[in-house]
This record gives sequence, structure tokens and C-alpha cells, in this order.
Amino acid sequence: MIKVDNLWLTYHSGKERVPAARGVTLDVKQGQFVTLLGPSGCGKTTTLRCIAGLEQPDEGAITIGDELVFSAASGAWVPPFRRNIGMVFQSYAIWPHMSVFDNVAFPLLHLKPRPKKAQIQERVLRVLDLVQLGNYANRPAPHLSGGQQQRLALARALVAEPRVLLLDEPLSNLDAKLRDEMRIEIRDLAKRLNVTTLLVTHEQIEALTMSDVVAVMKDGLIVQAGTPTEIYSRPKDLYVAQFVGRTNLIQARRTSLESADKIRVSVETDLGAVICTASASYDIRLPTTVAIRPEDIEMLDSGEDGSSDNVFEGRVEKVVFLGESVDCFFQVQNIPLVLKVHPARAPASGVNIRVRFPVARCLAMPV
Amino acid sequence: MFATVVVVSVVILAHLGIVFWLSVTDGSPGISSLTYTWNNFLEVFGDRRTFSVLLNTFGFAALSLVVAIAFGIPAAWLVERTDFPGKTILFTLMTIGLLIPGFAAAMGWLFLLHPRIGLANIWLMKWFGLHEAPLNIMTIAGMGWVQGLNLAPLAFIMTAAVFRSMDPSLEEAAHTSRADFWSTMRRVTLPLAWPGILAASIYIFTIGFAAFDVPAIIGWGSRIFTFSTYLYLLASPQDSLPRYGLVAALSTVIVALAALLSWWYGAMQQRARQYAVVTGKAYRPRILKLKKALIPAWGFIGLYFVLSKLLPISLLAWSSLLPFFQIPSARAFSVMSIAHYVALPWDLVLTGATNTAVLMFLTPTATLIVSLAFSWVVLRSRVPGRQAFDLIAFLPHAVPNIVFGVGALLITLFVLQKAIPIYGTIWLLLAVFTIARLSYGTRMTNSALIQIHSELEESAQISGASNWEVFGRVLLPLLTPTLLYAWLWIALLTLRELTLAVFLSTGNNITLPVVIWGLWLGGGLGQASALAMVMLAFMIPAIVVYWIFARRMGLIAT
Repeated sequence: MIKVDNLWLTYHSGKERVPAARGVTLDVKQGQFVTLLGPSGCGKTTTLRCIAGLEQPDEGAITIGDELVFSAASGAWVPPFRRNIGMVFQSYAIWPHMSVFDNVAFPLLHLKPRPKKAQIQERVLRVLDLVQLGNYANRPAPHLSGGQQQRLALARALVAEPRVLLLDEPLSNLDAKLRDEMRIEIRDLAKRLNVTTLLVTHEQIEALTMSDVVAVMKDGLIVQAGTPTEIYSRPKDLYVAQFVGRTNLIQARRTSLESADKIRVSVETDLGAVICTASASYDIRLPTTVAIRPEDIEMLDSGEDGSSDNVFEGRVEKVVFLGESVDCFFQVQNIPLVLKVHPARAPASGVNIRVRFPVARCLAMPV
Repeated sequence: MFATVVVVSVVILAHLGIVFWLSVTDGSPGISSLTYTWNNFLEVFGDRRTFSVLLNTFGFAALSLVVAIAFGIPAAWLVERTDFPGKTILFTLMTIGLLIPGFAAAMGWLFLLHPRIGLANIWLMKWFGLHEAPLNIMTIAGMGWVQGLNLAPLAFIMTAAVFRSMDPSLEEAAHTSRADFWSTMRRVTLPLAWPGILAASIYIFTIGFAAFDVPAIIGWGSRIFTFSTYLYLLASPQDSLPRYGLVAALSTVIVALAALLSWWYGAMQQRARQYAVVTGKAYRPRILKLKKALIPAWGFIGLYFVLSKLLPISLLAWSSLLPFFQIPSARAFSVMSIAHYVALPWDLVLTGATNTAVLMFLTPTATLIVSLAFSWVVLRSRVPGRQAFDLIAFLPHAVPNIVFGVGALLITLFVLQKAIPIYGTIWLLLAVFTIARLSYGTRMTNSALIQIHSELEESAQISGASNWEVFGRVLLPLLTPTLLYAWLWIALLTLRELTLAVFLSTGNNITLPVVIWGLWLGGGLGQASALAMVMLAFMIPAIVVYWIFARRMGLIAT
């Protein structure tokens, strides 16, 4: 539905040149919910704005549906108001001089041919009901709370049944609890209406909970794209592993192949030998790091058998209670590590524990 | 500090008080048999001239508003919303444009479009074989045109701020909601900018309403009066005793009208602030690429500067070099000389120049000291009812300056004359100039003081500094840039001030603009032009200093 091909865009501010997109390539299928995830300045918003037509790229091509909306090669350019899209802005961009109804009716007034008055009325009220604002139609827009403004922006973006829904950090201005609710609500709505959606965010939790596909961006490029599970459990490199979720990193000294299929490797570290699974971009000749998530480290009971691979003994330094779980900071051979356990199993600080790194969850990746 | 504020407040209120009081009294003040009466108001409203003057004033102010906006708003939009390349220089020229005295431009335009001697009229009549001058500047329309050109920079600066404070994502949302450029402009940009534009319009209308320079220079000769020139006529008639009761009554009517406008302005400003959505994110405002429209854009800006500055000042220079005004010709060039410059009444000019120089130094100094005291009392002290002082400081902005001129005249003549004889001294001018600039001064010191968190002062106090040390070592250094900038601006406004000076000047306290006005009134157009040119020449170094300073503060560069 959305095809972005080798997109380049450099901002010029005075004499300074700030490259924002440096060859972004992306393919979003009909009905998919895709998230661009990355820190500020990674080019994710720029990519979104290029798709919306609010920025004109220097290089590349963008297709929405089967319409070529931008191509540097052929000079094709479709202005934003003819791209048949809906967009939710970070600030919501609710027009303060209009009522809730007029805000939502706005895109319908510009449809060709313009729908009849009764039709507009009917469609606006239907979409307002959809976002649970049915009773607010006649309110002046500035009289809404933050969460309601957010829903209003969503209703306005959806009312004209666009091919594509673009969301620019739509949840960043809400408080934490509302954010939890809206995450699920937005995803449900997009799926129910079967609208192709592209979300931009720097919050990994939004990316993981809402998307079919997460594309992690860095310095104007997509580093890795995949399902949330893939991104989380099989990060391609250190950048993705560290940006999405927390991870323990252990420096490697030397690596050797453990199996012929190049998937199981043995890594020599300060802890001793660690048997790992190699990540997709792994190259045995490059300096290596072992990554394992805190919740993947198993704490063994005292009676349990410790003869399998990757079992180490460590000493608990500090235990931090988080409510639903406990972070247990411990050291093995002076290397600081952290694991996550259920509060009922929390060890006391100062005691010795045995831990196991499951081979399937222990990733060897280039530094 | 508090004492200063109270004294100045009382003086300001006294100016208005005496105007109100005299408007409802009979006979000459100072006489014991004074009675209270509505006769003054009855006479003012019974005179048909009052209505024609008010009608003139409204027409003049409305027209000058239209002209100011027609030039100011497109220029502001070009600067804030397009890739127009000359942004810094345009801001600079517009700011400086505000400083060119209104009377200089008015004189220039008179030489261009006077029905008998106007250059353009003579040429048009010659080329098209007309028997009558096609254009006449000595009308309400002509005066409105010139005043509008003078006020366009104000429209520019005020609406540029409106365009700048608008969240560009509001327009982007319209684009992604299928609205094209014109629909977005009509349904989103303009409705959002509207309260801000309306507020600016009311402000400009109020200034046009109270303007003196242009109607005095252009309208006096043909006896077309707006209320400020009419007030001047009533206060200093050539052939009878001044009727101060009438002057006071008319002033009271004007104050009521001005209060209405101020209230409306305040209401609009509040709406405009509601629309200015302030978000934390740093935006790149949506910039329209002008491409081929760049040439007409430059043409438009160029046209404005030619019309408002280059043309009138060139004509002023031309007139100052000729024994009598005539169209350019071989004969005209052969009789060109600096005779007018030589023949100026130099002792009068020197008195005026000295007084003006002293006032240029003292007015900003006094204004800023008083302003700082006001701001401190309003924002930092805990005196009950301190908000009232903020309102009082706003009065000189809401009430036309000329009413303060009238008030000062009445106070000094009838109340103070025996106790403190300051009538006819520059101290009177200093006092009234200071009051007139107090609104601007407090606005500057207020915003500067608000930005300094009071914890900075509190921590200095806790570190052992006394009140005066806190002021001297913490506040003053932080305020200095703002104070210097405001000082320069007020000094330049003082140099060009004609309205108040004309009311209060006698002989010894005459200022440079009043000398020019006197020469003009006496029919010495060439000499008046010459002296105006001298004054403009003296403004140049002051403007350069201002410009360098404003640039360093980042106040001119956008």
C-alpha cells in the first residue's frame, strides 16, 4: 500500500546541512500496522512527513496504493491534499476556531464531489461515535481534554476513509494511564476499519504492542524491520538490542563455531565459555558481544541440576522491587548483570545464586 | 520606589482629572465664581463642526488603517511564511521606517500632490492636457494615504508576530485533510490569524485616530481638521481667547471613545492568545517557495519603500534646495542653492536643537527609572492593590497623547503656575514626554522583569545581599540590555515628537520639530524642508547606533 524507495532528504538551515533521511526503503502492505521506531533525529518523522507530502524529498520515490505520489527521477509530485490520506499530528492540530463537528467535517467538505449535507452529518456522527465523542459534536474544540482532543484528531483523520492513516507520535502528549488505553484503542480501530497505518514513535512499548511490523531507524536509515517478536528476541545488532528493551552485554574475547550451520557459536568471555545463537548479521571474524535480556536469565533453585550449558555462579549485589517483578543485580567474575524474577522468588542481597543463560536466548552479535 | 510610583500615578490621574473637571465647569478656572454645568458638552454637541471633525477623524483613521494593512500584512506574510530572501533587511527597514517623522513624509507628499504646486499633478496635467489637478493630497483621503504609509511598519511588525505564533501543524492538518492552498488560507490560516489581525487593526486605528503630524502638515492649510488638530485650534486660536472648557469637553468625549477602542483591543488580544497554540516542540514553520513570485514580491516591497520613504524625502530635499518650489527643469537646476539652509533662523534652531538634545537624553532616562519602579511594585512587591498601578501605567497608551498635552497645559496654567512655575520650561515637556512614553516603558520593563525568576533575587538575599545590593548586582545587570534598547528607542521617538511639544512650547522650551512646524505654518516651505532635512541627517547616526544595538540583541534579525 505504501512503497518508499531509497528516500533521501537533507534539511538546510542557514549554511548547515542536516541529513534526515539517507536512503529509507519501506514496504507497507494493505491493512498492515507498521511502526517507525527510533530516537529523536533518526529520520522517522521526516519519512512520515515525506509520505504525507509535507516535505519534498531530494531523492527516491513514494507510491501510495498504485499511485506514484513522488519520484525524483520522473519529477512526479502529488500535493498532500490530493494524496487521500489521514494524519494525526503530535500536537493534534485541532483547529481552535471550529467546533468538534466542524473539525471532523472539514475533510468531507473537500471531497469531490462534495457529499450532501445530510450525508456529511451522518458520516461525522458515525465516526465521532466510533471514537466515543458522539455527545461532544457541538462543543468548541478547545474545550476538550487532552485525551478527547486525541480522539478528535483520530476521527478527523479517519472520516474521509483514507487509503492510509499516518500517526506522528500521537500518544506523546497523554498521561501514562490514558496512553495505555489509547494504544489498544487505536490498534483495534485501525484493524476494525482495515486501514493501512504507519505510526512514528520513540516509545518501544508502543511499537511492540501496536504493530504488525516494527522498523527500527538510526541516522536516517531503517536498521531492522520485522514483527515485534522478531525485533525483541532476535535483534539484528547491538543498536536494536539496546534500543528495544533492556539487555545484558558481555564482552567477548574469542569466538569459535560450535555447529556447522553457523547458528550455534561458542564465545569466550570473562565469565567463561558461553554457548550462543548467532544473530542474522553475525560474522565470526568481527569483535563480538553476547546479549541476553534480564527476563531470559533463569535463576536455578538450590536443588536443580546445573550440569547443562551456560550455568554460572554469581553474588547478589542489590534487589530492586518493581511491583510486578524484581530486578536482581548480581555479579559473575566481577561482571555486573541483571535478571528479572517474580517477587516471590526474589533472593536476598549478598547471597550466592546460580543462573543459566538459555542458549536459544543468548545472542552473539557484532559490536 | 513606591513613593515614585504613587507620585507619578497621581500626576497621571491629575492630567485626566483636570480635563474631566474643567469639562463640567463654567467660566475661566481660577475665578471664584465657578459653577458646575453641562454647557460645554451641550456646546460641543450643538456645534455642527464637531460632527464634521469627528467624521473626518473616523474617515482619516479608517483609511490610514486600510493603507497600513494593505502594505503591512502581505509584507508580514512574506517574511514569516515564504522563502523571501530579504527578511532581516526588511525587518530593519520597517523598524527604522517607524522612526522617520510623520511630518517629514507629509511635507514630501504635499510637494508631490498639492493641487497647485504638486509635481505629479503638474506633470499629469501637462501629459494628459487636463485643466484641473487630478489628485489632491489636501483631503481626508490624501491624509489617510500618507498616515497609512507611515503606519504600515506597525501593521507589519504586529501581524508578523501573529503569523509567527501560529502552530504550523494547524495548516498542515488542513493539507492532509484534503484542503488546497486557497481553501487552507480561507478556512484555517485567516480565521486563526483574524483576532490577532483585528487587535493590530484596532491598535493602528487608535493611533491614526489620535495622529497630529500628518493632519497638521497637510490639512491645516485647507482647514480640514481631525480632532487633534481641531483641539489645537481651540486651545490656541489666532483671533480670540482660548475656550478651555470646550477643549476639555471635547477631550473627554475623545477619552470615552478611546476607552471603548482599548477595551475592544484587549478583548481581541485575549482571543488571539487563545489561538496561539504553544507547544513544546520546535517547529520548522511551513515555508512557501516563492519561485517565480519572487519578482513581484520584491516589486511590492520596493514599491512600499519608494512611496513611503524615498519619494517624499527626495521631494523634501528638492524643495529645500530651491528658492520656491517648482518642477525639475534646466531653470530649476540653475537656481538650486543652499540658501534656505543658510537663511534658517539659526538662533531659534540652536535653542530648539539644544532643548531637543537635552530631552532626548533625559526623557528615556526618566521614563525607564519610573517604568522600572512601576514594574517592580506591580510584579515584585506585595503592596495591596498593586495591579491598579499597572492599569495607570497603561493609561497613556489608551488615552490619546494629545489629551495629556491638554491636561498638562491646564494643570500648569491653572493649578501649578503660582506654586511651581514650570510653564514654558523644558521640565514641563520632560514630565509630559515621560508620561506619554510610560506605557511603552513599563511594557518593556514588565516583560524583562517577568523573565527574571524571583528566586534569583531571593538567593542573593539569602547570600547576604541587602535590597540595594540585590538590585544593583543581580537585577540591574540582567535588565541592562532591555533597558539600553528601550532607552534608544524612546530617545529616537523623543527626537521626532511634535504633538505634545506643539501644545506646550512657548519660546524658551521650543523643540526642533516645533521650529519646523512654525516655519511651515508661516509659509516658509523651503526653510521648513531644509530644517527637516537637517533633522533627518542628525537622525542617521542615532539610527545606526540603534540598529547596531538591536542587531546585537537579536531584536531585528528574525
